[in-house]
Amino acid sequence: MQILKKINFFGYIVFILLIVILQSCSNNFNKHPNAIIIGISSDIESTNPLFSYTVNEGDISELLYMSLIQYKWDEKSGELIDEPMLAKDWSWNSDSSSVTLDLRNDVYWSDGVQFTAEDVVFSFDLYSDPIVQSSRYGTFKTFEADTTLHIDINRTFEVESPFKLRINFKKNIPPDLIDLTVPLIPKHIFQNIDRKNLITIEKQIKPVTDGPFYLAEWQKNQAIILKSNERSFLHKPSGAKEIIFKVVPDYLSRITQLREGEIDLTEDIKTEDLKQLSGKKYLQLMPIKGREYDYLAWNNIDPESYKKDNKIVPNKIFGDEKVREALTYAINRNEILHEFLKDQGELAVGPIAPIFKNAIDTLLKPLQFNPKKAAKILADEGWQDINKTGVLEKNGMKFSFSLFIPSGNPLREFAATIIKNDLKEIGVDVKIETLEPQVFFERMFKHEFDAWMAGWSVAIPLDMKSYWYSDLKKTPMNFSCYQNKNADKIIMKIDSEKNKNIKNHLYKELEQIIYKDNPVTFLYWINNNVMYNKRIKDIKISPLGAVYHAWNWTLNN
Amino acid sequence: MKKEIFILLIKRIFSSVLVLFLLISFLFFLLRLSPGDPSLKYFSPDLSPQLAAKIRESFNLDKSLINQYSSFLLNLTRGNFGISFTYRIPVFSVIMDFLPFTLLFSITSFIIQLVLGFFLASLSIKKINGKLDKAISQISLIIYAAPTFVIGVLLVLIFSSSLNILPSSGLSSFENNSYPLIPKLMDNLSHLIMPLITLSLGGTAVFYKYLRDNFENVYNRTFITYLRSYGIPEKNIYKQNVIPNAINPLISIAGVELGILFSGALITEVIFGLPGMGRLTINAILSRDYPLIIGTTFVSGVLVIITNLVADILKVKLDKRLIKGLLN
Repeated sequence: MQILKKINFFGYIVFILLIVILQSCSNNFNKHPNAIIIGISSDIESTNPLFSYTVNEGDISELLYMSLIQYKWDEKSGELIDEPMLAKDWSWNSDSSSVTLDLRNDVYWSDGVQFTAEDVVFSFDLYSDPIVQSSRYGTFKTFEADTTLHIDINRTFEVESPFKLRINFKKNIPPDLIDLTVPLIPKHIFQNIDRKNLITIEKQIKPVTDGPFYLAEWQKNQAIILKSNERSFLHKPSGAKEIIFKVVPDYLSRITQLREGEIDLTEDIKTEDLKQLSGKKYLQLMPIKGREYDYLAWNNIDPESYKKDNKIVPNKIFGDEKVREALTYAINRNEILHEFLKDQGELAVGPIAPIFKNAIDTLLKPLQFNPKKAAKILADEGWQDINKTGVLEKNGMKFSFSLFIPSGNPLREFAATIIKNDLKEIGVDVKIETLEPQVFFERMFKHEFDAWMAGWSVAIPLDMKSYWYSDLKKTPMNFSCYQNKNADKIIMKIDSEKNKNIKNHLYKELEQIIYKDNPVTFLYWINNNVMYNKRIKDIKISPLGAVYHAWNWTLNN
Repeated sequence: MKKEIFILLIKRIFSSVLVLFLLISFLFFLLRLSPGDPSLKYFSPDLSPQLAAKIRESFNLDKSLINQYSSFLLNLTRGNFGISFTYRIPVFSVIMDFLPFTLLFSITSFIIQLVLGFFLASLSIKKINGKLDKAISQISLIIYAAPTFVIGVLLVLIFSSSLNILPSSGLSSFENNSYPLIPKLMDNLSHLIMPLITLSLGGTAVFYKYLRDNFENVYNRTFITYLRSYGIPEKNIYKQNVIPNAINPLISIAGVELGILFSGALITEVIFGLPGMGRLTINAILSRDYPLIIGTTFVSGVLVIITNLVADILKVKLDKRLIKGLLN
C-alpha cells in the first residue's frame, strides 16, 4: 500500500513532465519561417567591431555596422573587387596618393543621428589608437602614422563637407582601398568615453548601429538575435527578417540540429559526416576552398643557438634545402588526402592558394610521392645507413627527430602516423610527440621545435611578408625561420608595386623560389565544409567567409 | 550545543580563508609558470602581430612575477579578482553570468538524485534480494557505468531527433522573453528536462546504492531485532530508527557530491549548450585566462567549503556526539 502511495506521488511528477513535454512539442513545431539560424560553436565576446577578434564576431559586426567600401570576391581572377557602401563614389588624384570620397547622405544611426564624415575620421582614429587595442590595430599600412602606429589624422583626413572626405595615403606605398573596409562606429556615442577603459566598458554601451541588421537581443551563451533594419539602403524585403546566431558548443548536437532543421547553416563539418548529411535533399554542401592549409614544418635554423643568443645557424638536419625536398618526396600526401579528408581538399604546392588565380603559378606541380627519389637525394647529400640499423646517418649524427603536433586534432594525428611510416621507409626515424595546443603554439612561436605539423589560414588579400620575410624580429609568423635574400627582395618589391599585373608576376617568382627551397612541406589545402538549408536562396559562399554579405540572402520556405 | 556550533563555524571560517588564500596564491604562480600564453589567440592572419604585444602589455604579462603578484594581492584586498582576459570585464561579473544557472541546475539535480535515490532504495528494501530489488540494483549499475555523454546523446537521439518532443539544446527558445510567465517557465523546464535527467541519473544510482546498503546494514543490526521483539510497528522502526541511522553516513557523500555539482557539469553543459561554471572554467583554462581561472576556482572552493560545513552541521544535528570530533 505504501509503495502504491509512493508510486502515486511519482505519478504526479510524471504527469507534470508530460504536460511540459506537450507544451514544448507545440513550441518545437513553431519554426522560424522568417529567420535564418546559424549554428556557431561558441558565444561571441563583443558585438562592437572595434573588438571583433574572431570570425563570428567579424560576421556579426559586419551585419551591424557598415564600412566606406565593401568587397566582393571575383572567382575568375581570384581577386577582390571594390564596391560602394557608405562611400557612393570616389575619385583618385593624378598620382593616386589620395582619394576623394562622396558619402551617402541617407544613412542614419539607430538612435536617429545622421552618419557623416566625422564618424569616418573618428573611427580610424579610434581603431589605430594603441590604447584602444582594437582588432585593426597595426593593420593600417598605407596611412601616415606615428611610431605607435596611430594614424596621423590631420595629415590623412580632410573633411571637405559632412558628406565629402579626402583621404591621403602614405607616399611611396601603393594605396589600397582594403583599408577602407573598416566597420565605422558612431562618434557621438564613443567620443566622450575614456579610450583606456573602452575595452572594459563597451559592453555597458547599448549598440548604436547603421547596418542592414540591428541587435535585437543577446541571450548570453545561447543566441545573438539580429533583426533586419528596414531603414537601411541594403535592406531586402525578400530577405530574412531575423538572423540568429545560435550557440551550440557540441559538434554532434550542431550536426543533429542541422539535420533536423533547427539550424539552417553551419560550417566546419567533418568529412565523415558529409555522406549522411548529403542524403538530406533539403541540405546543400558548399565548401570554402583554399583558405586553410596544413604543413609539415622543418625549422630552417638551429633552435638551440637561436634560443641561447638569437644566433642564426642552419639547422643540423633541416638546414639543407635538398633534405627538405627529399622529405617532401618521401611523404604520401595523397594517401592522407584520400583516406582521411575523403578528397575534400587538394595537394598544396606553396603558400599561394589556388583561389588566387592570377597570382598562382599553375606551372608548378606538387612533388609526387617518390620514396626512391627521396632516398637518392638523401644519399647524394651524404645520409647513409652505415651501421645497418635502418636509420640514416651523416657525420655520426642519426637522421632522427621528434615531430610535434597539437593534441585534439584527429587529422594531424592520422597524418603524423602516415608520415612516420613513410619516412621510416627511407631510413628516417620519427618520434611523434603530442602537446596541449597552448603549450604547442607557445613553443612554436619561440621557434623551439625542429619539426612540427600545424595549419594556417591565408590572408585576403595575399600577405607574404608576414610569413616568409627573413627578419624574424619583424615577422613572428615566419615559424620555420625561412631565410632567402632573393625572396626578401621580391617581397619588398611586392609591397611597393602598384601595378597589379607586375605584382602577380612577382608572386609567381616568389612561389618558384619557395617551391625550390621547400622551407616547409606544404601538405594540402583543406576545405571548410559549409552546409546550409536550401530554403536560403541567393547565398554566395566565397573564400571571404560563410556568412559574408548575408543581407543579400533571401528565403524560400 | 549552540555555542559549540558557533565555535565550529568560527574555526571553519578561519581555516577556510587560509585554505582559499593559499589555493589562489598557489594557482597564481602555477598558471604563470606553466607553459601557455594568453595573447596567442591574438595571432591570426587578420590581426597584426603588434596587437598581441599590446594585449600582453595590457594584461601586465610583460611585468615581473613578483610585480604581478603584488598587484594581484592589492586588488584582492579590494575584493577584486581583476579583469578577465577573454571577456574584458571584471571576473566576478563574468562569473555572475554563469553561477546562478549552475546553482539552480545543481541544486535541482541534487534534489532529484536524493529523492529518487531514496525512493528507489526504500522500494528495494521492502524485500531484500527480491525481484524488484534485483531489477533496480542491476539497472542502477548499468546507469552508473554508462558515461554521461552516452546518456545525453542517447536522450537527444530519442526525444529530439526521433520523437521531436523536446528541444535538443539551449536554456530557452529564442522567443522566451516575449512569453507570459507560465509558458516562459514551461519553456525553460522543457529545455531542462533532458539535461537534468543526464546529470541526475549517475548520482541517483550512487545515492540509491549507498542508501540501499545502509538500510540493509541497519536492518541487520541487533537493536532492530530487539525493537521488533518489543512489538514496535515496522513503520515506526523504519521512520524512527532505520532512516536516521542509514542517512547519517550519506550526508558527507551528499556534501561532496553537491560541491562537485557546483563546480559545473561540463559534459552535460557542452552537450546541451548550457551556460554553466564547468564550460566557463574549461574555456578559461584552454585560453589561459588567468584571472578567470583563479576566480572560478575561488568560487568553487567557497561552495565546496560551504556545502561541507552544512553537511557537518546536519550530521551534528542528527548525532550530537560528532561535535567533539569536528571541533578537534
